[in-house]
Amino acid sequence: MNQGLDIKINKLPSPTWNWLHMNETELKKIKLDKQGLMEEKVPAGIDKREERFSSFEDIKTGMGNGADILINSAGISPLSFSVKEGVKEAEPLKLDFSYEDGENAGNSVELYAGKDSEVTLIMDYKSSGEGLALVQTKIHAEENSLVRLIQVNRHSKDFICMNDIGVNLSDNAEIDIINLFLGGKETYAGCHTALNGKGSRLNTDIGYMTYENQKLDMNYVASHKGKKTKSVINASGVLKDNAFKLFRGTIDFLNGSSGSEGDEKEDVLLLSEGVVNQTIPLILCAEEDVQGNHGATIGRLDEDLMFYMESRGMSHQEIYELMANARIDAICNMIPDEDEKKRIQEYLGRGMEDE
Amino acid sequence: MREKTYVEDVNRSIYDIKNEDKDSYKLEEGLTTKIVEQISSEKNDPEWMREFRLKSLEIYNKLQVPDWGPSIEGLNMDEIVTYVRPNTHMSAKWSEVPEEIKETFERLGIPKAERESLAGVGAQYDSELVYHNVREEVAAQGVIYTDLESALRGEYAEMIKEHFMKLVPPTDHKFAALHGAVWSGGSFVYVPPGVSVEIPLQSYFRLNAPGAGQFEHTLIIVDEGAYLHFIEGCSAPKYNVANLHAGCVELFVGKNAKLRYSTIENWSKNMYNLNTKRAKVEEGGTIEWVSGSFGSHVSYLYPMSVLNGKGARSEFTGITFAGKGQNLDTGTKVVHNAPETTSFVNTRSISKGGGISTFRSSVVVTKNAPKSKSAVSCQSLMLDSESRSDTIPAMDIRTQDADIGHEAKIGRISDEAVFYLMSRGIPEEDAKALIVSGFADNVSKELPLEYAVEMNNLIRLEMIGSIG
Repeated sequence: MNQGLDIKINKLPSPTWNWLHMNETELKKIKLDKQGLMEEKVPAGIDKREERFSSFEDIKTGMGNGADILINSAGISPLSFSVKEGVKEAEPLKLDFSYEDGENAGNSVELYAGKDSEVTLIMDYKSSGEGLALVQTKIHAEENSLVRLIQVNRHSKDFICMNDIGVNLSDNAEIDIINLFLGGKETYAGCHTALNGKGSRLNTDIGYMTYENQKLDMNYVASHKGKKTKSVINASGVLKDNAFKLFRGTIDFLNGSSGSEGDEKEDVLLLSEGVVNQTIPLILCAEEDVQGNHGATIGRLDEDLMFYMESRGMSHQEIYELMANARIDAICNMIPDEDEKKRIQEYLGRGMEDE
Repeated sequence: MREKTYVEDVNRSIYDIKNEDKDSYKLEEGLTTKIVEQISSEKNDPEWMREFRLKSLEIYNKLQVPDWGPSIEGLNMDEIVTYVRPNTHMSAKWSEVPEEIKETFERLGIPKAERESLAGVGAQYDSELVYHNVREEVAAQGVIYTDLESALRGEYAEMIKEHFMKLVPPTDHKFAALHGAVWSGGSFVYVPPGVSVEIPLQSYFRLNAPGAGQFEHTLIIVDEGAYLHFIEGCSAPKYNVANLHAGCVELFVGKNAKLRYSTIENWSKNMYNLNTKRAKVEEGGTIEWVSGSFGSHVSYLYPMSVLNGKGARSEFTGITFAGKGQNLDTGTKVVHNAPETTSFVNTRSISKGGGISTFRSSVVVTKNAPKSKSAVSCQSLMLDSESRSDTIPAMDIRTQDADIGHEAKIGRISDEAVFYLMSRGIPEEDAKALIVSGFADNVSKELPLEYAVEMNNLIRLEMIGSIG
């Protein structure tokens, strides 16, 4: 009987002191039994393929080979999509993943964006009861293509969510990634973007609301190889109760990536005494002609802001709730799909404000 | 093709003068129980220290080398001589120090600095102190500044036993255990309550013997309401074999006391500098670290502040210059373990000629530290694409009521800044020199004047033929 595998994921590209326990995450006795259920809505401009893209095996992901081992051990076959050269598909490709109580399931998704194409991929995760779901997404964006990837975690409070992304960008290709982490008992998220092509661009917006005993463990890496590449990683979230969050963010300027720029920012609001917040934003640099910046703001709200809001008659609690919601709404508003926005608001128990 | 601005390596000529390695007593190479017992016997250790050394050796043998930093494969402990005693004894008069050794310290400017701007000096040559003196008026205030080994057997023996390697236990890491086993030399400072030592004390560590290690221990206790500025300098000539420095600095800053600890580290480029420094700060106390790292082949250096009392504060100001053949992994660690504690970190690093500079830090705020604040700022300058510069800052925050900020920048000399200066009539070459100097100057201004001058000698920023 398969007792599960011990795997290591979300490895920091350059390790630091082991006592901080940030270098990687070890998961014990993890197993996948089956391929997860998924509903798809494929617009006309996107082709669904029977065969996987062989070249996608080389795409590096944020979780690393631990996730590959799990996917392969369960014999999960990828679902492959492609967008032909020059096709600019206005309708999003929508994949809804739904996991049942007791399931340990995995899914693998591949997307090939041809030259000069445009595509939006929206992936929504939900579940009931306890279980584990791993979704691995690999994307190759050809020259001058634009890919928007939106992933929303609306898992049940007892589910373990693993979300792994790997992206390769060719010349002038661009990817916008939105990750919204709301549910799940434990969420592990990895994302590796290889900016291989000259002038390729990455924009990443991460939002999280981690409450009660939830755990969120992230590893985002922007690897600049091509010249004049640009990456932005913005993470914004709220921790409450006994929540735990670890954000690893790396901008890696490889030798030869001259003229490149990388920006990384994290803004964390801590709402309770019991929270644990870990942040490790790396800049690795082997090229002279680059610019890298990172910043982090962790803790309370700014005193001037508090004073202003209090002078408008709001209590401390109301102000913090308002600001926490504002962070999630700011990410939510970036999603170019009204149905998905509505699902998020419903999950948060708010309903649409304009209804 | 653009001709690159050239920035000269650190000028090391005065540090590279070697004295012939003669007339000294050396133990054999390597690290064994017998060698540790020989050192203990040589030092006439009290029994507890002999046992401490042997226990540390046991711990050393069990611990692994770090798997996260620069490679130390070139360091073979079986080839390192852990104890070298120069053929002299410690004196309070420079005239009694052997001529050759005295000349070395003269060249390094130590006796001159003592006459002009220091309250006391300790000078260590290889494994032993050769000179230790403190001004009478400072001693009259009750300030103790002596070599650690005398203190271990004298009036302050109990105080040493109470504090020695309590902040940095041998279990901390492999080279702390090594230090515990073979430490030799170093200084002990005690500043009584309310006493302010207006001018700095300085210890200078010189390693002359090739293939040797230096393991000095510095223990400073600044009692309630007292103030001290302590300066530490170190250098060695370059040899073709690996040398090792695994010193240890333990600083105890009492209630409302303040200690400024300044270091200019200028070891030779065959040196493995695996040093450990730590301060514990009580209520209302302040530790200020000023750290310049210029030498060594490989450095692991992260002065740590444990803010253990309400309102305790730490400041870390550092600069690292990594040139050809150097891999300098430097930074700082702060633990906020009491309410309303504050930490500021401000560092600069420069990489050139294939040098690797890594800024590594950790800010930990425990549950015991509500209303704490921390601000970390690090900037790195890459002068060519053969070099490497990494920034690895970690934050672990475990209280809601904290205010933590971090910012880092990495890049090259800004074209806009060069253009601005040129538009004011400054030639391009000079403009770039000015910018690089200014980048380092931000930290060097925190150094005491005499050290800022030394640093200017160290970083000779010569700019030649620069068509940007």
